[in-house]
Amino acid sequence: MVLTGLAVVFIGLAAAFLSDSWGYPAPRVKIPLVDKAILDPTTVRRTYADLISAKEDLSDFDCYACHEKGQPPPLRYDENHKLLIPEEHVNIVMGHGSHGRNNNCFNCHNETNLTTLQPRDGRELKLENSTELCGSCHGPTYRDWDSGAHGRSNGYWNTKLGPAVKKDCVNCHNPHSPRFPGRKPAPGPHTLHGTGEVTHTPESPSTH
Amino acid sequence: MLATGLAAVAASLKPLFEMEDITSAQQFMQKYYKELTPEDMAKVLQRIEGEVEKEYGVRPHVRDLRPMDGVEFVYALNLSRCIGCRKCVHACVAENNQSRSPEIQYIRVLKMPHGTFDLEKGDHNYASEQVPEKGFFYMPVQCQQCHNPPCVKVCPVNATWQETDGITVIDYNWCIGCRYCEAACPYWARRFNFTKPSIPAERLNPNMSYLGNRPRSQGVMEKCHFCVQRTRAGRYPACLEVCPTGSRKFGNILDPNSEISQILRTKRVFMQLKEDIGTNPRFFYYFDV
Repeated sequence: MVLTGLAVVFIGLAAAFLSDSWGYPAPRVKIPLVDKAILDPTTVRRTYADLISAKEDLSDFDCYACHEKGQPPPLRYDENHKLLIPEEHVNIVMGHGSHGRNNNCFNCHNETNLTTLQPRDGRELKLENSTELCGSCHGPTYRDWDSGAHGRSNGYWNTKLGPAVKKDCVNCHNPHSPRFPGRKPAPGPHTLHGTGEVTHTPESPSTH
Repeated sequence: MLATGLAAVAASLKPLFEMEDITSAQQFMQKYYKELTPEDMAKVLQRIEGEVEKEYGVRPHVRDLRPMDGVEFVYALNLSRCIGCRKCVHACVAENNQSRSPEIQYIRVLKMPHGTFDLEKGDHNYASEQVPEKGFFYMPVQCQQCHNPPCVKVCPVNATWQETDGITVIDYNWCIGCRYCEAACPYWARRFNFTKPSIPAERLNPNMSYLGNRPRSQGVMEKCHFCVQRTRAGRYPACLEVCPTGSRKFGNILDPNSEISQILRTKRVFMQLKEDIGTNPRFFYYFDV
């Protein structure tokens, strides 16, 4: 009697183990692989120097294909003193600096030679040396960039073993509207089981 | 009666048969990392290359890179620049052959409200449409490579230790998976492989090192090792190279002219995380201004 009872219990247990009646392990969330674009370490923009070294088409930078030499292009403003962007340059968004004060193309471009840049100190800089132009106004940032505290560097920390690649201002910033645009963040961590949805900790109200 | 007993035994042994890879005899007999002669190590590396090739169909290049003389690594992160895009998290996963499902990630990005450093207020599950959000800053946390690492002290088998260049490493073949180090770490930096890691073969990074990113097995710990397979060969870590804002800085603190030395000297370096507990991290957070 006892033996039969035990046998029944054991058979029951064995059946339960084999059929996973506890539902263990619980089904796991299927986590999709991330988009390879997230893993890409290249910068969002390419500088004039990058285009030269990649031997790419530079016809976009041939200002005098349209403009007339020796004749500074006129700037036109609306009644609020906002610069009117000509149709040919419609892709330019004037967003450099606040309050619309920086609304003169020739604060940076050289009006007498459009293929060069001109900082306020009167120097004439080639397009590929734009970082010096930025530095002529943004002194502390230029100092930080020069010492490596600001900006991106790729390649080798140990320059004896390989080259360190230091990125220029315009590799990351659009000179016409340099503020970083917001972006969608890469996917956050997933839960192991369940729906894969994560519960958020309540956001504290901003104190700023 | 006998049949019942056998069935019960078979059922209780079931998990054993679900273990996919039984440790090879060679692997089982392998000596402690620090006792391996160069010849032993060459054999071990070859064995690992074979194992990886058998499993993933990709022949990796596994090296045992040692610390360089006169080098101590330090990391610095600019909190004024980080936008919380989490690119570093995924670049790290790709570089270091971490499990994709279930996920193992070495970096957590905390979204913190302005005006506090209370980590309890940090949210690492944020799913904002756009970052950065107004009123918040973002603080990535990973292994801090402490000078005084609590995780090393608690390891009962010395499977984890601090190397001369400051990196705390794990010998995955020596780890017994007791997870004491996970409990001891104040920075939630250690991860445990509850299952066999799943890595798609086409995403496997074949540039591997013994103490770094070679595929781990089930039941061992892993953590950020400053990409030893890259940094001990002179390169920057993967998380740094992918950062779109240049918030991440890395280098040799013993070289007074290195980027990192200049940052720590001239910038407003405000803290090591939880510096009051005396771990003395090699990971610094700093601000512009």
